[in-house]
Amino acid sequence: MKRRTLHGLVLALASLPAFAQTTSAPPPGRLLASNCYQCHGTNGSGGVETIRGESVSEIYNELKEMQRKTRPEMMDMHARGYTDAEIKLLATYLSKLR
Amino acid sequence: MVKRRDFFKWTGAAGIGVATMGWNPLASAAIVPVPTNTGIKGRVVVIGGGMGGATVAKYLRIWGGTGVDVTLIERESAYASNIMSNLVLNGSRSMSSLQYGYGNLASRYGVKVVKGDVVAIDPIGRKVTLATGTGYAYDRLVIAPGVDFDILPGLETAAAQAKVPHAWKAGAQTTALRNMITAMPSNGSGVFVMSIPAKPYRCPPGPYERACVVADWLKRNKPGSKVIVLDANSEIIAEKHSFEEGFALHGIEYRPNWTVQSVDTSTMTLNTNNGPVSGTVLNVIPPHRAGKVITANGLADAGGRWTSVDVLSYESKVAPGIHVIGDASATTQPKAGHIANQEAKVCADAILRLFSGRAPDPAPKTNSACYSPITFETASWLTVTFGYDPVSRTMVPVPASAGEASVRSKDNFEEMNKWFTALMGDSFA
Repeated sequence: MKRRTLHGLVLALASLPAFAQTTSAPPPGRLLASNCYQCHGTNGSGGVETIRGESVSEIYNELKEMQRKTRPEMMDMHARGYTDAEIKLLATYLSKLR
Repeated sequence: MVKRRDFFKWTGAAGIGVATMGWNPLASAAIVPVPTNTGIKGRVVVIGGGMGGATVAKYLRIWGGTGVDVTLIERESAYASNIMSNLVLNGSRSMSSLQYGYGNLASRYGVKVVKGDVVAIDPIGRKVTLATGTGYAYDRLVIAPGVDFDILPGLETAAAQAKVPHAWKAGAQTTALRNMITAMPSNGSGVFVMSIPAKPYRCPPGPYERACVVADWLKRNKPGSKVIVLDANSEIIAEKHSFEEGFALHGIEYRPNWTVQSVDTSTMTLNTNNGPVSGTVLNVIPPHRAGKVITANGLADAGGRWTSVDVLSYESKVAPGIHVIGDASATTQPKAGHIANQEAKVCADAILRLFSGRAPDPAPKTNSACYSPITFETASWLTVTFGYDPVSRTMVPVPASAGEASVRSKDNFEEMNKWFTALMGDSFA
């Protein structure tokens, strides 16, 4: 099969849901927050420090403070990888985890 | 509550001692239950149980639930971590301390772990066949085989490879290289020569880290010995500041734009584009390509070495239903375990959305982070976050998030041990 034809077919198939959407959408922020888990443990529990269940403002303020550090350590640099909206999203998700 | 900063001080002293005393490094990791009520159904086969493969298997279950059938096929009974394996070379870690089995994935998350060798992939019939003849049908296939190596002229035989190991896939070669280093002459006449292939290769800072760790050990144990680094790249490609300082500290002779073309094991000589270089110990890291399951199944569409993928789902651009994560895929992201773990999460999330008739997340983020030992007790670090660019359809670095340590330190070394334990826990526990 030619690549172009194959791509066309894939696009056509991809645009048709394989199943009706009977499942609920994944919670907002779940994938984004998983960027934390390599160091903070799966679901933000364990690792270098548990972060799940902290309040939204606690997580938000801490990350914003890290973004402003003048001599950044690793986490201070990492915090700079996220927009304000992304920080709010992942903080909201992590705050709800138990 | 213990503050983040104090936490490191508070636990710092315990880290290394505990890890070397046989304490289970994954024991404290959180166990997340597999939900029963997501409504998502599908069959996923994962080939390869490294950082990417283990993580995608685990997250498909904890996010997808019991309706998502996950089979992990792996040749070995345990994964030997490449991360930290340079510390086997200076005797501070053993290979046996770097083994990660698949028992947790099976018992905690219900992943069906199969030990076997894949001999055929049928992308139309969506089936994987093992050497035993057993077939596994899938709705989505994830391949995470890591890297394989080119065979340089002169290194065709097992005997030659044993004499000049790459030790770039942690295992018996790592221990062999350690033994070669400890057997170097004590009078300082020994020369350790290592070579770095042109990028992309696995773990960009890794070879420079290795040069530092080995030179540091030789300086303290066999003073006068020489370390020469032949780099096919035109400059140090990761943590330039930290490694320039490290090379100066250890007196390492660094030669950019030196490419090894062949090896003569009878005279222990490397033939390069700039002439021959001889040494007491030769450590040649050959050019890389994706693991054999990729190249043998017509999936290496990127330069005949890697699989090009859509980074929203890691689905192959040429083989629908087949996702390739980690080192084997051709993306703008580094080939390294920490980011393979995140690619696995993006892939797992995308597959679950596809099973639900949804499109993948249109704006995923990934991050790379690692620490590099510069001496037996100090380390540097490197990190960058990537975001999806819909115009180029690639993951692009967020400039403000890219950086390396300004100074090597003992604190970084302690944090490195905690990072490693957490990363392996998120992937295997």
